[in-house]
Amino acid sequence: MENLEQQELTKIWQSILNEIELQLPKASFVTWLKNSELVDKKDGVAYIALPNSFTKAWVENKYNKIILGNIRLLDDSTKNIKYLVKSAKSSDFPKDADKNNGSKTETSEKQLAFPEFKIDPETNLNPKYTFATYVVGGSNELAYAAAQGVVGDIGKKYNPLFIYGGVGLGKTHLMQSVGNEIKNAYKNQVRVKYVSSEKFTSDVIAAIRAKRAEDVKKKYRDVDVLIIDDIQFIAGKEKTEEEFFNTFNALYEVNKQIVISSDRPPKAIPVLEERLRSRFEGGMVVDISPPDYETRTAIIKTKLQQKNKELPDSVIDVIAAKVRKNIREIEGIVNVVLFYKEQKRADLTPQAVEEIIRKNTQHTPENITPNHIVRATANFFQIPIDDLMGKCRRKEFVRPRQVAIYLLRDMLDLSYPHIGDIVGKKDHTTAIHAYEKINKELNKNSDLNQKIILIKDIINKSSE
Amino acid sequence: MSVIILRNNLKEALEKANRALGEASHLPVLKNFLIKAENNNLIITSTNLELGITVYVPAKIIEPGYFMIPASVFSSLISNITSERLDIQIKDSNLEIKADNYEAEIPILNSEDFPIIPDIENKNKFIEFNSSFISEAFNQIISTVQFSEIRPEISGILFDFQLNELTLVGTDSFRLAEKKISNSKFKTNFDTNFKFIIPIKTIHEFIRVFKKDEIVKFYFDENQILFKSNTVEIISRLIEGNFPDYKAIIPKNFETEIEINKNDFMNSLKLSGVLNPSIYEIKIIIKSGKKNIEVLSTEKSFGKAKSTLLAKIKGKDAEILFNWRYFFDGLKNFKDEAVFIGLNDGSRPALIKSEDITYLYILMPIKQ
Repeated sequence: MENLEQQELTKIWQSILNEIELQLPKASFVTWLKNSELVDKKDGVAYIALPNSFTKAWVENKYNKIILGNIRLLDDSTKNIKYLVKSAKSSDFPKDADKNNGSKTETSEKQLAFPEFKIDPETNLNPKYTFATYVVGGSNELAYAAAQGVVGDIGKKYNPLFIYGGVGLGKTHLMQSVGNEIKNAYKNQVRVKYVSSEKFTSDVIAAIRAKRAEDVKKKYRDVDVLIIDDIQFIAGKEKTEEEFFNTFNALYEVNKQIVISSDRPPKAIPVLEERLRSRFEGGMVVDISPPDYETRTAIIKTKLQQKNKELPDSVIDVIAAKVRKNIREIEGIVNVVLFYKEQKRADLTPQAVEEIIRKNTQHTPENITPNHIVRATANFFQIPIDDLMGKCRRKEFVRPRQVAIYLLRDMLDLSYPHIGDIVGKKDHTTAIHAYEKINKELNKNSDLNQKIILIKDIINKSSE
Repeated sequence: MSVIILRNNLKEALEKANRALGEASHLPVLKNFLIKAENNNLIITSTNLELGITVYVPAKIIEPGYFMIPASVFSSLISNITSERLDIQIKDSNLEIKADNYEAEIPILNSEDFPIIPDIENKNKFIEFNSSFISEAFNQIISTVQFSEIRPEISGILFDFQLNELTLVGTDSFRLAEKKISNSKFKTNFDTNFKFIIPIKTIHEFIRVFKKDEIVKFYFDENQILFKSNTVEIISRLIEGNFPDYKAIIPKNFETEIEINKNDFMNSLKLSGVLNPSIYEIKIIIKSGKKNIEVLSTEKSFGKAKSTLLAKIKGKDAEILFNWRYFFDGLKNFKDEAVFIGLNDGSRPALIKSEDITYLYILMPIKQ
């Protein structure tokens, strides 16, 4: 009999257990066989997993005959049974196992825990990310549907799944949800691994240094679902790219699922090897754009629900309308507003909220100079700085120039004449026009919004 | 079956075997002892399916045999008899116990139903410790470990064996203790590194069951561990899963550093903590340039307390909230009088260490 799918095995085992249950005292059945599992059946051997070695010793000695007899009733090709101990989860043991584990110190709600420990050490997943808490709107519904498709049909439907979008838009949440959902749905039968590309890189480097390349292979190829976050960071790191390419192929060839995220689409990642790029584009590529107004409202309401807090609709409305950069920022503002409400017990007028938003979103670091902005913008659009500041009115220069003007105003709050000066002795009305044009477009054009966010990120990093 | 045994030896053995009795109501057989008489020993076994304890008591065996008996009746009977010498034998389906001026008969049970105690297949390789030494090391760790159904992988002590050094680690995600034991403190014939997680309950039983200065050998396989001395064996499951990568959380640099007398500090923690019985919260205030630190109670409704104590201070000012019990638990594990405490801000872990570099303790603050 060939290697059967797990679902099939579970069904067979259930019907065998039903038979055995009639032949044993109830207490014995519940104690020894209830948590058993048929994990494989091939070459005349049935493999039965039991929760601990006590159970294994008992079942092996006492019930082998009954079990074998019942299996043979269904399938007489089985000659032998092998018993294994599998995943001794503490919940498989009697509840009284903790009866004398010393005095329990009461922990206050405010007691901080080591942040690293919230993460499941085997999969690297943080259990707080689930589909249930993911707010779906027009800006991310395609990505959401694709992610769900992956859970429903691992390794086949959308492989690889490539998700891209700006910082703080919920890529990590979505990717981790895929991992957590798969883990819950398939229990321990599907091995999931989540890794950031920085971690992957440092593992590759450590392996090279220790001359143990097989460590990386073993770690990343021995999985059914590999989730890699922020892949853009491996671009240009040759050894890492090569190792990733090999890992990718090894998994892809045997229909293992790969999920990748990046802050931009594959074709926009500079210095990414062509062969990797084409692999990425070979599966499903979906984007997450900044949330629209309705989604932002829904996100705020979800966050409040999670915290068990309330805010008046007028306040939610102001936050949703004014904070549009990303979800992380929305979350931050909601926290500040809640704090204000609880501490000051003052009336939360929409004006007060606007004031809070104004104060809290002007977090531009002091050491950013106009020069940073101009250089970052020119680099981003890959045009020479001279052209950005020049007179040429060709489309490929005008747009970057407008973006630079918008950023100078938005981030540094410079005066329009001053801005005009910086971008090559332009008139202040040019600066006003450019700023307003971009500002207006931002609400409608999510692509532009995303670019602006990306450039701001680059500027913030370059000034640190 | 017929044996002659000293009452005190038997009583002591039963007390040990009592540690592994099951309370699970769905399997009453776990409330019994399995007792065998063979090779000049009376061998008493108990299990709760998570761990099994077997105790060997020297006895004069006139006729070998075995039986199963309800643990509570047998234990209380033996502990209340005052005679020194007992004659025990099976007559029909009863156990007959004869002392100087006392006689009892207890019905025995069918030992067929008693669980089979699993064994370690390969007993060629082992690690050998002095029981007092390893118990003391376990004791420095156990206060940081709590049983948790949600986080089985931190419901035990990490046993990280390297050829030159053994590391024990425990944590409940709020604090963490690490103890290093150099290979001069144990004997072993293992030639590879490995690590596994021993359930905290097993560790508690280990400390209770083994006598002072016994030689204990540790054997293990994939999913269980066996502790064996000449008189006792404990076999236990190991916890499956990966212990968190804790090394990353050990802080290396500190904004504020203090050196302080351990006992004075423990005393002042207690004095301030006493005024805050429900949440164990205290505040530590450190000012650079001063020669004292302050420990304050924080919950005004219970009153106010402040203690001042001498300390060597280096670095920035700090005002950090802590659970004083977590501090206290950690400090009491240090043998040196002078301890070093390294602090960063109120959201990052603090570290306690001393001259004895084999032990360190880390704890997280309470949110301001």
